[in-house]
Amino acid sequence: MDTILQSLLDLPGVNATLVFDGDGQLLAHRGRAVYDRDLCQQVSGWLAKAVDAVQLQQGDWESMTAQFADGKLLLRSLGLSRDGKSHVLALVADAALNPSFATVAIRVAMAKLKKALDGGGAASSQNLGAPPAPQPAASSSVPPSDSRPVLANSGLSWSKISSTGLSRIAVADPASAAFLSSCAKELARYVGPIAKVYVEESVRRVSPENPFALAASRALVEDLAGQIEDVEDRLKFRETLAAGDRLRFRTLEKP
Amino acid sequence: MSDLTLITGLPEVKSAVLGDLAGTFFDAVEEQDGEGVCAVMGFLASLVTQVGNELGLGALERVSLSGAAEAHAVLLRGSSVIAARVERPGALAAVEKAWDDALQGRR
Repeated sequence: MDTILQSLLDLPGVNATLVFDGDGQLLAHRGRAVYDRDLCQQVSGWLAKAVDAVQLQQGDWESMTAQFADGKLLLRSLGLSRDGKSHVLALVADAALNPSFATVAIRVAMAKLKKALDGGGAASSQNLGAPPAPQPAASSSVPPSDSRPVLANSGLSWSKISSTGLSRIAVADPASAAFLSSCAKELARYVGPIAKVYVEESVRRVSPENPFALAASRALVEDLAGQIEDVEDRLKFRETLAAGDRLRFRTLEKP
Repeated sequence: MSDLTLITGLPEVKSAVLGDLAGTFFDAVEEQDGEGVCAVMGFLASLVTQVGNELGLGALERVSLSGAAEAHAVLLRGSSVIAARVERPGALAAVEKAWDDALQGRR
């Protein structure tokens, strides 16, 4: 991983590169002398919190660019690795950065980092001082991560759900995932960004042992409706999702 | 013309909110959960400001968030924060440019 980060650091204008996980733990870094490990660790913690906030507003975020008076901070989501942890690549750059060159180099580095993280080739912060180790996954046949969330414990996975940020629950099929997305969006009208958390909790209540399936959709809507205080709003929420439900079943009934 | 009117006047912008770095809600256009968005974006902007200070990057000017389906532009002016939801991620650059042009025109 050090080699990959070093390749980014070699770009004109890049002053530091780091990879951290969703807990704000620094996994690896490369940088000019001023960007030492302590500083990068501290910044990783803050950036992990910033990413959590971003997830509330835009669960499908892939890139974040912060423009400052004297430089730029670029974050790229590396998705979830096999251990279920999210990872982020960060670059600290000054005005000399050529955005076009950087875009290509970052894409290449991201693909390599995803392989390294998936294949267990992630260097821990403890061995950063060691010479770059060979990247076993980079030369193996393990395909690169496609950012699809994978449940670490059950082995179940789902797709089509990352846009809601509902990353800790399992669904039976893409239609169920789409339904959860609709629920989260509709509920957000009444309760705000916390809606995603409510949906996660509700799924655990109505479908505690099995991946969420559409068969449990009505129970879920009833459970979620309980989070809305205003009676009229609660009614609107139920009606909107029931209408979607009818439309979905009509679509399924068509030959 | 206010900053919020200016930004929501752009065809690529679906909705926008005006708040501050403390997450206080001031105004919203086409956004039903203005308070929630202000809270999240204010928190985000204050954290990124803190990071920029620590890394010696100077004052934060804007943050762009991009995903598969939509994007957000968080624009800072003093302690005011404008968060705009952009319909297509590809249109983010146009929104940022329009914002920069508008600010330069006022200087």
